[in-house]
Amino acid sequence: MDFVQNFPFFSIILSLFSGPFSAILEKKWAKRVNYFILFVIGAMSAMVFAYTLETRQAYVYIMGHFPAPWGNEIRFGILEAFMATFFCVIMLLCMVGGERERALEVEDTKQNLYYIMVNLLLCSLLALIYTNDLFTAYVFVEINTISACGLIMIRQNGRTIEAATRYMIMSLLGSGLLLLGICFLYSITGHLLMSNIQVAVHGLMASGLYQRPLMVAICLMAVGLAIKSALFPFHTWLPDAYGYSTVSSAAILSSLVSKGYIFLLVKIFYRVIGSDIIFNSKVIHILFIFGIAGMIMGSIDAIRENDIRRMIAYSSVAQIGYIYMGFGLGTTEGVIASIYHVLSHAATKSLLFITAAGLTDCTNGKRNIHEINGAGYRNKLAGVAFTVGALSMVGVPMFSGFISKLLFSKAAVGHTIKMLPTLIALAISTILNALYFMKTVIRIYSPIKDENAGEEYTCVKFYEQPLKSVAYILFIVLNVVMGLNSEPIIDCIRRGLEIFS
Amino acid sequence: MNRIIMFAVILLPIIGGSLIPILPFKTRQRMMFYIEALCVINSVLVCSMLFYQPNEVFTLFRFSGDLSVTLHLDGPGKMFCALAAIMWPFAVLYSFEYMKHEEREKGFFMFYIITYGITLGVALSENILTMYFFFEMMSLVTLPLVMHTHTREAILASRTYLYFMLGGAAFAFIGMVFILSYGTTSSFLPGGIIDMAKLDGKTDMMLLVYVFSFFGFGIKTAIFPFGRWLPKASVAPTPVTALLHAVAVVNTGAFAVMRITYYSFGTNLLRGTWAQDVVMLFVIFTIVYGCSRAVKETHLKRRLAWSTVSNLSYILFGVVIMTPEGACGALCHMLFHSFMKITSFFCAGAIIYKTGKNYVHELNGFGKKMPKIFCIFTVSAMALMGVPGLAGFISKWSLVRAAFASENILAYVGVGALLVSALLTAIYMLTICVRAFFPGKEFDYSTISDVKDPNMLMIVPLCVFLAFVIYFGIHPQYVLTFLSGIDFV
Amino acid sequence: MSTILIIPMAILIIAGLVLLIWSFVEHIRCKGVYEEKHTGIAQSIFLIALFVSAGIVVYLALGKERSVTLFYLMNNIPIYFKIDEIGRWFVLIVTIVWLLVGIYSIRYLRHEGEQKRFLGFFLLVYSVLIGLDFSGNLVTMYLFYELMTLTSFPLVLHNGSKEAIMAALKYLFYSMAGAYMGLFGIFYLQHMMGDLTFVAGGAIGRAFFDENKALMLVAFFIMILGFAVKAGLCPLHAWLPTAHPVAPSPASAVLSGIIVKSGVLAIIRVIFYLIGPEMLRGTWVITVLLILSLVTVFMGSLLAFREPVLKKRLAYSTVSQVSYILFGIFLLTPKALTGALLQVAFHAIVKCGLFLVAGVFLYEHHVKRVDELVGIGRRIPVTLWSYTFLSLSLIGIPPMSGFVSKWFLAQGALVSGTGVFEIIGPIVLLVSALLTAGYLMPITMKGFFPGEEAASEKVKETSLWMLVPIVVLTVFAFVLGVFPNGLIDYADKIAALQW
Repeated sequence: MDFVQNFPFFSIILSLFSGPFSAILEKKWAKRVNYFILFVIGAMSAMVFAYTLETRQAYVYIMGHFPAPWGNEIRFGILEAFMATFFCVIMLLCMVGGERERALEVEDTKQNLYYIMVNLLLCSLLALIYTNDLFTAYVFVEINTISACGLIMIRQNGRTIEAATRYMIMSLLGSGLLLLGICFLYSITGHLLMSNIQVAVHGLMASGLYQRPLMVAICLMAVGLAIKSALFPFHTWLPDAYGYSTVSSAAILSSLVSKGYIFLLVKIFYRVIGSDIIFNSKVIHILFIFGIAGMIMGSIDAIRENDIRRMIAYSSVAQIGYIYMGFGLGTTEGVIASIYHVLSHAATKSLLFITAAGLTDCTNGKRNIHEINGAGYRNKLAGVAFTVGALSMVGVPMFSGFISKLLFSKAAVGHTIKMLPTLIALAISTILNALYFMKTVIRIYSPIKDENAGEEYTCVKFYEQPLKSVAYILFIVLNVVMGLNSEPIIDCIRRGLEIFS
Repeated sequence: MNRIIMFAVILLPIIGGSLIPILPFKTRQRMMFYIEALCVINSVLVCSMLFYQPNEVFTLFRFSGDLSVTLHLDGPGKMFCALAAIMWPFAVLYSFEYMKHEEREKGFFMFYIITYGITLGVALSENILTMYFFFEMMSLVTLPLVMHTHTREAILASRTYLYFMLGGAAFAFIGMVFILSYGTTSSFLPGGIIDMAKLDGKTDMMLLVYVFSFFGFGIKTAIFPFGRWLPKASVAPTPVTALLHAVAVVNTGAFAVMRITYYSFGTNLLRGTWAQDVVMLFVIFTIVYGCSRAVKETHLKRRLAWSTVSNLSYILFGVVIMTPEGACGALCHMLFHSFMKITSFFCAGAIIYKTGKNYVHELNGFGKKMPKIFCIFTVSAMALMGVPGLAGFISKWSLVRAAFASENILAYVGVGALLVSALLTAIYMLTICVRAFFPGKEFDYSTISDVKDPNMLMIVPLCVFLAFVIYFGIHPQYVLTFLSGIDFV
Repeated sequence: MSTILIIPMAILIIAGLVLLIWSFVEHIRCKGVYEEKHTGIAQSIFLIALFVSAGIVVYLALGKERSVTLFYLMNNIPIYFKIDEIGRWFVLIVTIVWLLVGIYSIRYLRHEGEQKRFLGFFLLVYSVLIGLDFSGNLVTMYLFYELMTLTSFPLVLHNGSKEAIMAALKYLFYSMAGAYMGLFGIFYLQHMMGDLTFVAGGAIGRAFFDENKALMLVAFFIMILGFAVKAGLCPLHAWLPTAHPVAPSPASAVLSGIIVKSGVLAIIRVIFYLIGPEMLRGTWVITVLLILSLVTVFMGSLLAFREPVLKKRLAYSTVSQVSYILFGIFLLTPKALTGALLQVAFHAIVKCGLFLVAGVFLYEHHVKRVDELVGIGRRIPVTLWSYTFLSLSLIGIPPMSGFVSKWFLAQGALVSGTGVFEIIGPIVLLVSALLTAGYLMPITMKGFFPGEEAASEKVKETSLWMLVPIVVLTVFAFVLGVFPNGLIDYADKIAALQW
């Protein structure tokens, strides 16, 4: 066994324990430790990724050397390692990009708490990615929820408390359903380890026993995770939670937290139940329909919204819709497209949140898009970065959004019935995206309105906030690279899925 | 080696243009010199490319799998490249004078030059993905040009412009994905590339997708009911309206529709189907609709823009006849209309530049005060009407010949629409000329005593374009022979 | 040396452009109120160009057959001129009228101003008309047909009043609409026939025609109707009464006398030189056109009868009289065609003369309306006598020329084998002749016999520049009526070529 194979476990443990550790440090040092931990875990994940890419195998890491069915397992392949690396990178960039706002908006005494929460969140995300045990997954789902609540609530301005409560209620409902599903599965299969469940499920399918409970279990888990990842119509908690929390929280929540659940769902589909069974069940039709509804309705809500942050939050609803629509196509191609979109959305949405904060910052904190005129000239780099994010969301070639759109539609074309609805929904959704994103882009490059002519605005040069600028630039690079050179990434996802179960 | 040129002609304007705001020019003259030199050099490169005719393909980069951005020079591409290469240096010359009093000149020229590269990119596209790529880029780089004046009107217009452009691209995307999935290859090949085995009887679906993508790409040519953006976008500075919204951008749309019709779906599959009827009906309606709106419109540039709407549908009409002759006619009108319309737009621009007058009823008596401009305008008006001996007649003639040869009843109706539109063209163009030259007995010339012809920077490009209009009118053989030599089926 | 064909056109175009540019430059140079200078030189240039080219044209028209291809518009479409029988007929009429009206307008234009512009366009129109008459194929003819509209509408709006400009635009757009309808047919014929060179008797084969009959007839109908706009066929005649009163009198004269006939020439070219009369015989196209032409003959006369403004009355009269020609053409018999051709010649001369007379009334006496002409004959007898003779010719009273053409038309109708039109045609012609008498003769009556109260001292006749052309036209109308045989033979020869 190579030493690298320990890294997934190390990274989970490292992030878990760095939380309590940073509680006792000064806040400046807590921040540095946090960044360092993120960097180290990212590096370790990258090494794991390189290792699996080379060996092209998935590995099972048995914790404490207790074999199944008693022990707890970690299982990692190309896809898992890649996701972990990617999540670490995004999270680091989010933390760096939102640093200034965080310092202003979070009380001094709570700064350390923030880093604890982030570390816990990372830990739970990594666990969700790596674990091969359904119950462990559930446990970390809960940890994830709690830390996410903390991240929302930590900026105390009244609205966040309400938002966090809403988030908590909806999330707990979701995890309750997930737990129910897990219980059902456990009672009909007798296993909690994913690979074992799959064997049992196939046995059940072959024998024809417990068909209905199995379907109910699948539905419960799918719906539970859909609620948690804010699939339309369970998205009501989302705009407040993303809109009012501090910006790095919003970026992390939108680009990573909901994606962790989606990754868990992929895992359930492929590893727990088996893709052949899922693709033949009717659950995917439901996901398809709600996915498409989400694509359209999320965008329509976003068009009606005037607050730039809430608008971007609503856009997330639409993007989650894309992902579920990809699942709903019921083909591996569709799932690949969805996973690619998970990545591209993570890269784009966090960019948008952070640059939106940069733009409102030089508009005296006004977040209404009617008052944001000219912000693109005051903070040039943020303006360019926001434009890149918006174009990527609209699906303009050269940026990552285009590739996911292309993958979705190529996956859809293979399907007889779902082809046209998908293609048309994609087209309409593109137009709707253009409506609100490009409107904003044009606004930030419009001259200041007459009624605001007297106001004094600060101009931000890119060298004044070096770290932030670096984050912007890295995000832009990430988007463009994913847009121009997507082939290796798609290849990784495909290979990862092959050895996934 | 030759194929590098294809890449170079696209990249040079894009890089050279992007450098304009960065380079420290000491005087305006130096900037003008730099920009003009850039255009001329690129045009020379294009000419040498047309001369050497590289037959290879050049892959810029790959998106994924076999999806690549690839360049290749073929018949229609040659024509489009030549058009751009002739137009740009002269249009830039004109813009130097026009933009003298406008702000943010550098930004303007940056995007103006970048568009040159993008246009060539569309012309040189080897497959549909490449075309789509440049098609979207075109929408984006022309957006700052539309909102250049930064007035409220311009901002609103740019918004409409972008919504229509991106909306169009969204539907064009459907067609692109369909072709990528159902094609035998991703390249443009004469006669289409749809794989009948893969299609497996899903003909109606294919036709529906064709209609979607027709309208998707067609939005750039302002086909009814998506034509509203074009007149609105005429708030942009005139060099933009003239070169981009009468030539480059809109021709890109027509060119793309031609590509998908002849080189992707293939006319054999489309001819005689309901899809052809549907698109042809819309095209015919647009021909008449655009002209009628032009007659109603009193704002000079908007009137010309509506006229463009109608004329672009002439091109589309040629395309949807779906015979090689139809495509010839379409390309012919594309070429000739570009020269005619840019001439009339530049005249309108000269009027606005010298006098600030925007409305047709303000032009009384200008013919005496701006004789050169109005003589040129009158000739271009007659060319647009289709007076024999000028370019417009030739292209109309080839369109109509193709329409009759296709033996399609709807095409006969289209010929009728073409003639109705010619009459309406006479009405909206000649009323301007009559106003300008014959303001009436009581007209007091002292009210417009300060109106004068612009200087040579504006007159020379106009004369060059006019010379082309007349040359094509009396000696079109070269162009026609070239076009009929292109392989469409 | 067939290029000699182009020389008169070139001379006229150059002279015309010289005058126009001169006028234009003068306008641009002038500060304040515009005053025309050096009109004498301009008039000399005008007259020299007019006479020289008219001379060459007459020489060409009387000479041998020539043809020349100028250049190729497209690979298979040459701009091609050819002198043929019918071209000679029309070009001689044009030349006679143009010379006389040209002389007339030199003096008349003093009162309108802007001489150079008028004379310049006048020369250009002449050049275009020569091209039109000598055209050897349909596309060439269409080219000159459009140019004719574009060059002649400045003549209409010459006086620059709001009314005139609107009238000119109306004229322009009606003509354009007609031309484009014609163009539709040209497009179609080019597609069906490939070669649009004029061939006497038509070029379509019977079998080929029958094969595509339905669509072809529609195309022909649209085409003929389009060219008939210029000829003022009801219901497309509305531009005539609007354009004539506002145009200067020489312009009205050539508009009525010649340009309207260009529509006729186009229709003759289409029916007899492309399609062939036998193809159309008995089809619905001919029936509809016959009905329309008869309706126009009657309606034009009736409207003229009710019209108080003299030039407008004459315009309506033109509407009616030109439809005589169209009726003759649509009858598709040699006799009727002879009649139609004769009517072309006679009506050109007569109506031109009448408009020139109306011009004298306007120029010297500022009289527009018919009821103001009471007693005019006492004051300027020569002019009114000319008017009287010209009117008699128009009515068709022997021995004036109008009688000859109407005689042939009526005869052609009676033997045409068109069923009910054999009878109705002559009746309508007769009734219309009565109406013509009714609207023209009262002026003579009131002019010479104003009753007791009118003042009747004799004043000077108008200047010779204007009087001579009128008298010459009157003499022509009379002489050709008395000795029509030469003309009849030539028209017969043209008609015989078609069968």
